[in-house]
This record gives sequence, structure tokens and C-alpha cells, in this order.
Amino acid sequence: MADTGFHPRIAIGGVPVHAMLVPFPIACFTGALLTDLAYAGSAEVQWTNFSQWLLLAGTVFAGLAAVFGLLDYVLNPRPARPGIGLWHMVLNLVLFVLAVVNNFVHARDGWTSVVPTGLTLSAVMVLIMIVSGFLGHRMAYVHIARDARHADRRDERPDGRTIREDRP
Amino acid sequence: MKRTAPLLLAAALAALLGACGRGAEAPRQYGFNPPLPEPRQFLFPPMGIADPVGWGDAMPTVPPGFVVQRFAAGLNSPRNVLPLPNGDLIVAQAAGPNLEPNLRPKSFIFSWLMNSSHGGEKGASPGEDALLLLRDTNHDGVADQKVILTGKLASPFGLAWANNTLYVGMTDSVWRYAFTPGQTTLGQGTLLTPLPGGPIDHHWTKSIALSPDGSKLYAGVGSNSNIVENGLEAEHDRAMIFEVDPQSGARRPFATGLRNPNGLTFYPGTNTLYAVINERDELGNNLVPDYMTSVRPGGHYGWPWSYYGQHVDVRVQPQRPDMVARAIVPDYALSAHVAALGLAFLKGGNFPAQYQGGAFIGEHGSWDRNVFNGYQVAFVPFVNGRPSGTPQTFLGGFTMSGRKVHGRPVGLAFGPDGALYVADDAGNTVWRVSWRGDAR
Repeated sequence: MADTGFHPRIAIGGVPVHAMLVPFPIACFTGALLTDLAYAGSAEVQWTNFSQWLLLAGTVFAGLAAVFGLLDYVLNPRPARPGIGLWHMVLNLVLFVLAVVNNFVHARDGWTSVVPTGLTLSAVMVLIMIVSGFLGHRMAYVHIARDARHADRRDERPDGRTIREDRP
Repeated sequence: MKRTAPLLLAAALAALLGACGRGAEAPRQYGFNPPLPEPRQFLFPPMGIADPVGWGDAMPTVPPGFVVQRFAAGLNSPRNVLPLPNGDLIVAQAAGPNLEPNLRPKSFIFSWLMNSSHGGEKGASPGEDALLLLRDTNHDGVADQKVILTGKLASPFGLAWANNTLYVGMTDSVWRYAFTPGQTTLGQGTLLTPLPGGPIDHHWTKSIALSPDGSKLYAGVGSNSNIVENGLEAEHDRAMIFEVDPQSGARRPFATGLRNPNGLTFYPGTNTLYAVINERDELGNNLVPDYMTSVRPGGHYGWPWSYYGQHVDVRVQPQRPDMVARAIVPDYALSAHVAALGLAFLKGGNFPAQYQGGAFIGEHGSWDRNVFNGYQVAFVPFVNGRPSGTPQTFLGGFTMSGRKVHGRPVGLAFGPDGALYVADDAGNTVWRVSWRGDAR
């Protein structure tokens, strides 16, 4: 039987592009929640301007991360796809839709660009990110790593190289 | 699964667009105590952005008995007209300062959309901001001389003349020039008073008017935002009308809370200053109505904290109940988003009696509505010196099918010949409307 391990298909130097992109939405959306809170507490418009740029940047990088994550997922053979990845993806799709909506909410002028709808969406987005981020990291460090250990025992991967050859 | 995100997004957008589509009914926000719908907050504000294509051989429409002529065409964003006692016409041409920085993602989108609807066929550049003199030597209703009096100005808009002095409201100042009608050149001007211009300069037109005795000059300064989204600091000395001493340039606030006051004009035979005000956007198709009002000295008209009297705008924080309590209800609503920029009262001349004493209003036209509003010169009858009845279309035919428009009217004024002159910035034309003498 062939190796059933999950291998990121789009990677640079062995590092999945998806993994390199995901910190951006995480940092941007978390930052947007903080600047939203700062605006709600101060009514200083520059804070909502910060939120708007953070949301836009986060949404763009979330979209890119989604594309590469999805490619990694569908380009692996079905048995190799960890079930946890599906939940990670579903939550992040919800997150992406909320982010797009939140961009439009923040495009309103003045107080209602943030309070109450924008701030609420930003908070819900961060909560979703905590769960989906946990699922993503668990997929990478527990599920895929476990598969890799199994493959390690067989000492062989479908591309014919052994795991040991990859090691320094 | 791959298709879910776009599908969800499309569904969300469709729901939103559907919610926006309800504003198509004809506006009823006219006159006294207009019915104000509840304010709404949008993901996409209602929008209909004009696409100016010029006039070609087309002409605006006028009521029976009137005749409209192309007094001057091929201009570059003419914004305002000032007829002189000898029949010459001074025209202010301005591209707009275009100083607004893109502070937020929305600014990029809006600046792109708005520039496409203001530039007209040719699109003036700031270097072409100028004062022109148009002269109709053979009195056939068409200018046959065009002289550039002075160029490279800072977005001129307001024009006033008295006692051989021409006053010009630039976007950042009022200037005075020695000028005797008949002149076709203009000497060096002198700065009368600075006014708030850049940075940002969101509402840039500075409408000016002289009091009937010439002892005071009034200058309107529009707000630096829709609804303080650039911060309250950016609104210093804005959204108000200043009273200026035409000799010394000393100025003081005359009335405040006027979001974008234009068309400053004294009602004929009185010391009552009138103006038309562009009210705030993005609260709905029929909110907030623009209005025409007599301006009370020391009066506060609400912006930004409230509109149409005591209607609080929740987008402004911190709220100011003290200012809301002071806010005056304006005289007469022109309906929402018409973008009234010009005002002229008829006194004398040969127009029929029903027009005497009435207001002619240049409505540049809406963007914050699903269905166009404005894009006409409206007429509001006056009875006993007060507005009366509903607005009528006086000069129409500016809109075409879809979003296309021929032009957009701005400033207007009556000449000594009794004709109404209308600047059309997107149509690059000055129109002349006169009474033919029969209503066949």
C-alpha cells in the first residue's frame, strides 16, 4: 500500500506557502479588533482608519492563504486528507465571508463604521480564528506529524526518497 | 467546497442589493416639514453615479414660452456665472482642487467613482482654473467674445461685484480685483481674507454674496467630510457662513452647522440672506433632504450633530445634545441628494408673473440614490417673500437613458437682460434661458 501521509503540494524549501500566509490574517484581524476597541473607547477616527486597512490586508491574505490551503488539500489523495482539515476550512470560509462583510461595515462614515456592528464582527472573527487556528495547527503538528511518523517507520515516501534523506 | 465562498458572498451581496432596491419611489421630501424616513446604515450605500457624455446637438428643455440658447460651449468645467450691468458675463472655471488624500480603502474607490462623474467630456486640469469674460456684442443670445481674464487660480467659484470691485471666492481665500464693466483685462488682485482650503478640502466651493448695501460680504465654507469621518479637527472654521468686512477682510462666523452652503443670495429688496445646503449622505435614498433656507444671524443648523432640526445623527461621537437643542429647522426642503449648488431669485425682467420673486435652483444631481434626483434647474415659487408650493423643473433634459447625462447644472444668475444664465460644468456650457413672449 502506498504512503497515506499528507504532504503539502505547494511549498518553498519544504515550507507550505499556506503556512507562510496564515500569520497575516491572524495578525491583521486581531489588530483590527484592537483598533476597533481603541476607536470605541476614544472616537478618534484614525483608529477606525487603521481597522479598515488591517481588515483589507487581512482579507486579501486570508483569500490567498485559502487558495493555497485548498490546493494542498485537494491535491493530496483522498485517504491522505485529515478530517480535521475540513473543519478548519469550513470555519475559515465563514471567517472570510464575515471579513468581507466587515470591510463594508467599516466603510461607513463615522461611529457606525465600528460601533456596534463592526466591533462585534471583529470580535466574532477573532473567536473563529482561535478555533480554526487551533484546528489548523493541530492538523499540522498532530495529524500530519503522526502520519509522517508512520511513514517514517516505512522509511519511504511516494516520491521514492526516504524521510531520513530530508534530515540534516 | 471550493465554490462555497463565492456562492456565500454572492448570496450576501444579492440580499444587500435587494435591500437597497427599495428606494425607487419618487421622493416626497419637499417643502415644509418634509416626511423624513428612518435613517438606515448600509453595507453598500445607495448609488447612481452619473456618466457625463456632453450635449452634442441636444438641448435642455424649458417650459412653454421660454427659449434656451447655448450662450457659450466648449468651456472647461464652468461652475458659476456673474452677469455684469453691461451684459458681460464673468464665468468661474474650476477643475476642483483634488487634494483629498486616500486615508482609507473607501477613499480610493470613491475618488475614482466621483472623478468619473465630474470631469465632463474633456476634464479640466487645475492649470485651467480661470476667470473668463463672455460678451454678446450683437445681442443674439450667444457669446461672440471669450477672454481669459486671469488663470491659474485656486479653484474659483464664488463671484460678486459692486462698486467697481470684483470679489472672487477661491477655495482657500476671497480675493478682490478692481473691475469696471466693459474691461476685458484684469489687474493684480489683493487677498481679502483666507478661508479654510486644504488639506483634504472635501467641499471646496466658496460661494460669496455682498449685502445689498455692499457693506458686508458673506462666504460659505463647506464641511471637510460627509459626516466628520476625517475627524472634528478637520472641520475647524467649516460648515458655516462667514461675514467678512469687504474693506479690511476681518471675518466672523455668521451662521454655523450648514454642511455645504452654496448659492448665497440676498432675497431681492430685503436684507435676508438665503442659501442652498447640501445635506449628509449614506443614510438612505430619501435622507437627508438638501434644503433652501433664509440664514439667521448666529443660527446653528445642526451639522454634524443633527439634521433638519433635532434629528440626531448617531454617526457623530461624542454627541452634543446642547448643539442639537439649538439646531434650527430650515425653511424649505428640496428633496434628498439633489446637490443644490446655485440659487437665484427673479426680480423684474419679462418672465411671467408666476415666476416673479421665485427661486431658481441649480441642482448638480445625486450620487447617493439608486434613482437620479436633481440634474435640473428647479423653480420654487414664492408668495409674500416665502417659498410656497412644490418645486418644478425649469431647465431639464440633463439626464439620458441609464446613467448617462448630458451635463450637470451648477451656479446660475439673472442678467440685466432678464435672461437666466446657467453654468453646466459637466456639459462645459453656459445656457441662456429667456422668455419668448408667448406660451404656445
